[in-house]
Amino acid sequence: MSISILETKNLTHIYSKGTTSQVDAIRDVNLKIEKGELVGIIGHTGSGKSTLIQHFNGLLKGTSGTVLLDGKDIWEDKSKIRNVRFRVGICFQYPEYQLFEETVYKDIAFGPSNMKLSKDEIDRRVRNVIKFVGLDESYFEKSPFDLSGGEKRRVAIAGVMAMEPDVLILDEPCAGLDPKGRDTVLSLISQYRKSTGSTVLVVSHSMEDISKIATRVLVMNESKLAYYDTVDAVFSHSEELKSMGLNIPALTSLFLRLKEKGYNVNTNIYTLEKARDELLTLLKGGKSE
Amino acid sequence: MISDITIGQYYKGDSFVHKMDPRIKILITVIFIVMIFMCKNFLSLLLAGIFLVASIFASRVPFRMFFKSLKPIVPIVIFTAVINIFYIGGGKELLSLGFVSITSKGVFTAVFMAVRIVLLIMSSSILTYTTVPTMLTDAIERLLSPLKIFHIQVHTLAMMMTLALRFIPTLIEEIERIMNAQKARGADFENGSLTDRAKALVPVLIPLFVSAFRRAYELAFAMNCRCYTGGAGRTRMKQMKLHISDFAALFVFAAGFVGIILINKFFGVVI
Ligand SMILES: Nc1ncnc2c1ncn2[C@@H]1O[C@H](COP(=O)(O)OP(=O)(O)O)[C@@H](O)[C@H]1O
Ligand SMILES: [Mg+2]
Repeated sequence: MSISILETKNLTHIYSKGTTSQVDAIRDVNLKIEKGELVGIIGHTGSGKSTLIQHFNGLLKGTSGTVLLDGKDIWEDKSKIRNVRFRVGICFQYPEYQLFEETVYKDIAFGPSNMKLSKDEIDRRVRNVIKFVGLDESYFEKSPFDLSGGEKRRVAIAGVMAMEPDVLILDEPCAGLDPKGRDTVLSLISQYRKSTGSTVLVVSHSMEDISKIATRVLVMNESKLAYYDTVDAVFSHSEELKSMGLNIPALTSLFLRLKEKGYNVNTNIYTLEKARDELLTLLKGGKSE
Repeated sequence: MISDITIGQYYKGDSFVHKMDPRIKILITVIFIVMIFMCKNFLSLLLAGIFLVASIFASRVPFRMFFKSLKPIVPIVIFTAVINIFYIGGGKELLSLGFVSITSKGVFTAVFMAVRIVLLIMSSSILTYTTVPTMLTDAIERLLSPLKIFHIQVHTLAMMMTLALRFIPTLIEEIERIMNAQKARGADFENGSLTDRAKALVPVLIPLFVSAFRRAYELAFAMNCRCYTGGAGRTRMKQMKLHISDFAALFVFAAGFVGIILINKFFGVVI
């Protein structure tokens, strides 16, 4: 098997170790992320999702354990950690609050300029990436502070995409957006992955959002890795997910209720097509007891 | 880290000192600070030290918290002490090298100044460690309320202080968040020349100010919506009541104050 692009070994992070406010944010996390996947990271608030992803680009260093990028420990050479940050791009929660330049163009160019790229290359990337986020070049000369909330968010995401990282990580990219804005952002992320072939990690506490785009799902629960599997396999644990405080998709919860009522149905249903098929078999075959 | 700053930090507890009336605590702190600056010989300094240590024990805040609050002022203490050694003349001459001369009075003053600053910081730390910031400003407001006759808006000042204290941790958190976000975009705060590093702060400061203003507006709206119109006619949810123990504590410190005056008078002064 080829080397995974991202791997953690027994990764543990303890905040304020040895004081009264000590928090074990993540404990003993082992995972492998393959190139080109879109991994959804879900978990209840405080389950350690944000802490986990900050290890992937070396913003945090594990209390113990290692993070491997392309099979190499990212902390092997401390002075090269900035290169890791260019290869693993993180877009934090509410990224619109990190905009600072006079124009949208300059703000998107901030990351690439830090990479010391040529002017032409920076220009190519900025023009390329603005399309990915569904905006156009007419935005370039605008002040980022004059945009609407959703537009700001997209410009901020573009700022990270412009570094063309091998792994793009987005922390709650849909937080605080209206349903339409959420769908837009989700489909942009999905398209970005398809056209660039890069690996994407999306943090969310909404399984509904994740189920729409992810190829694999990673579930964090109380600082530990609870599940890491395909969407189907994870959703077959819908009862357990519910007990972890996750709001499972409405469709899944419908099938859970049917099962409670004594109908013999699968509960790992989260798309309309599957729901239809499952209901049809139920009606035709009369699988109920 | 930035989060090590201890300004306005409260150390949870339910000791006698925690329960004291904050107004009395402020008064006692003021008395104590005057006390330290009246000490003119070692015996009086010792007495002040005993009062401080006793208060720390009574507050049941661990000693290491006080050392933590002292850490940032070590350079100031050393600086003041050195200045005093060289610039204060008088008394016996201990050492003279051409135009520099060190005298006994200079050395004593240096030691006294250093001890005074340390005692000053530690005593005000007892106050902030044992009193929630909102109670502190509330007490300041009440203590200063006589100034109203000079048309000074005591309530407004106190409210501004409360809000400022309340937002220190929030802003610190915000700075860390913004710095992380910019680091993720390759910003470098640790390397480069002084001008490079100053420039690297721009991407942090601008979002910080933008968000501070946004928070200020939101807060103003929220206060308006709850019909806040300033101090006039405003009643209080938490009443402050003086207890006998508060007076007792005040009395003990007043006695200490007199004690220091007497010691200065009868044991001779060294500075
Ligand atoms: N900088 C920090 N200092 C101390 N504790 C923290 C810090 N960041 C997060 N935590 C704590 O670590 C735990 C996990 O937080 P986080 O990773 O943000 O979870 P999530 O992103 O899943 O909501 C929480 O209990 C949180 O309070
Ligand atoms: Mg989070």
